[in-house]
Amino acid sequence: MVFQLTINGISNGAIYALVAVGFALVFNILRFSNFAYGSMSSACAFIGFFFQRAFDPPPPFIVTLLFASFSGMVIALLIDFLGYRRIRINNSPKIYYFLMSLNFSIFIEQILTIFYGTNIYSYPSIFKIQSLQVGSLYIKTMNLLILGVSVLLLVALILLINKTKIGLAIRAVAIDAETSRLMGINSNMIIITIFTIAGILSGVAGVFLGVQYGVYPGVGPSVMLKGFLASIIGGLGSLRGAIFAALALGIFEIFLTFFIGATETTVVLFGIMLAFLFIRPQGIAGKLVENKV
Amino acid sequence: MSVYQVGLIIQVCITVMTVVAIFAMTGLAGMFSMGQAAYMAIGAYVTFVLSKTLQIPFYLTGIFAILLSIFLAWLIAVPTLKLRRDYFAFITVGFSRMVGALILYFEDYTRGAIGFTKIPRVDGLLWLSLGSLVLFIFWIRNLKYSRFGRMAIALKNDEIAARSFGIDVYHLKIKIYVLASAIASFAGILMAMRNRVITPDSFSWKMSTEMQIFLFFGGTNSLTGAILSAAGLRMIPEFVRNVNLFGVSMQEYRMIAYALLITLVLSFRPQGLLGEKELNFRWVGKLLERIKNNTVTGKESND
Repeated sequence: MVFQLTINGISNGAIYALVAVGFALVFNILRFSNFAYGSMSSACAFIGFFFQRAFDPPPPFIVTLLFASFSGMVIALLIDFLGYRRIRINNSPKIYYFLMSLNFSIFIEQILTIFYGTNIYSYPSIFKIQSLQVGSLYIKTMNLLILGVSVLLLVALILLINKTKIGLAIRAVAIDAETSRLMGINSNMIIITIFTIAGILSGVAGVFLGVQYGVYPGVGPSVMLKGFLASIIGGLGSLRGAIFAALALGIFEIFLTFFIGATETTVVLFGIMLAFLFIRPQGIAGKLVENKV
Repeated sequence: MSVYQVGLIIQVCITVMTVVAIFAMTGLAGMFSMGQAAYMAIGAYVTFVLSKTLQIPFYLTGIFAILLSIFLAWLIAVPTLKLRRDYFAFITVGFSRMVGALILYFEDYTRGAIGFTKIPRVDGLLWLSLGSLVLFIFWIRNLKYSRFGRMAIALKNDEIAARSFGIDVYHLKIKIYVLASAIASFAGILMAMRNRVITPDSFSWKMSTEMQIFLFFGGTNSLTGAILSAAGLRMIPEFVRNVNLFGVSMQEYRMIAYALLITLVLSFRPQGLLGEKELNFRWVGKLLERIKNNTVTGKESND
């Protein structure tokens, strides 16, 4: 039983990790929390769902994933182009980013609600074999796939950031945008790269969310909070911290839900968040706690 | 006036009240909270659920609800306001989620998602809301021009500079947050009395965002702007509520319209519609002065 729960927890945690990393990336570069991220995932869940349903026989799942991540990228870039770009040009205070991201979040969610209602659509079954049996354990094939794809994406992302020239530029902009511009880094290009990556992650996360929890307009925002939580526990802006915290959170949440119930879990998780802010606001990995001069 | 019109006026009063409270927080001190609707929920639920369960009059439990909101706001503010502004926004999101979860958890008392309906009818609600609204506006206006308000504005523009001038930034922020939460809690009680039914959904984060949108639309630096835009944006959708588009009442498109409007405002007029302007009557005096001067200079030029 414990092992079974752990496996479910890890695969939930993998989705949270995708969300949390998307946050952490945007936070690193632009220093604001992209609240629109949750609704972007919702939109991608819907896109993936209707893409999967549009063809007969349905396309391979991997094609749906690719298409959804492409759509996620387009949405992220559109949001950047329509909203955040003007704020950057105007050099407005950070608080404007907050409002703009919330605003897009509500915009997407409301459009989805108007056209599709608040009903929960569920993905058709994707695999012929629903679960593998190992000894006395049943492991869902979907959980394995989620875990595999997420690990692949996260490893690729970490390699991209740590080993390539673009990654170096991203790290430089994250430390000091002004100076890196003086050093000849095109920071606009870096911002677009960041939104591309975040969009792809949100697309993949969206499809997985749809598969796990069903497709409805609020699916993204409800997981968004877990992403926040993971990025706080992991330390705002730290990718590795966020990944570890997300996995831990996924496992912890499954156990809590199993033993004390879903409603109570929300309260307990918030308590943990508050406790973390009391005791160790910089998170596991963290820096960046107080406003710098 | 018809019942509908009275209801609408009360609704507008409540909206303006909450936006005025947020003006004190976001407009004066630059704190971005996404959880003000949660305080409204606390106000509404604690007042009427307690009053029903313990069989005591609701104005006593109302006072208790406001005190409870004050305590919770203080509890949240103490660890988070020392940190970056992002943490504060996070924690308010988490807080509003937690309040929603708690309402569902105490389903036996709050009736969960079905909604709590045992709210007594109150006479003279219109005058109560109008009166308290005027009081709050007057209060916040005075706050803006007081020493306290000027310290808050200094803190909003540059926290470190404000600190170096000897302003106790941390305690100032806590005070403002507690104040805004208390007003929100009061507005929540009024809203429960108006609707006579409260559900957890009616206090979601969408409502908190709506308030922020109203504030930024009118201009974060202008109390007049905040009041006018809150009243205006709340009333305009009522005129089109009988029009249908794609089989859905136009009112459903309200949030979409707000979102588009605020995107335009933030992009092309970031200071909001009214910018820094406030409504006052100083211009009357200036006009009189100018007329007097003109007549004087007119005579001189004739000579």
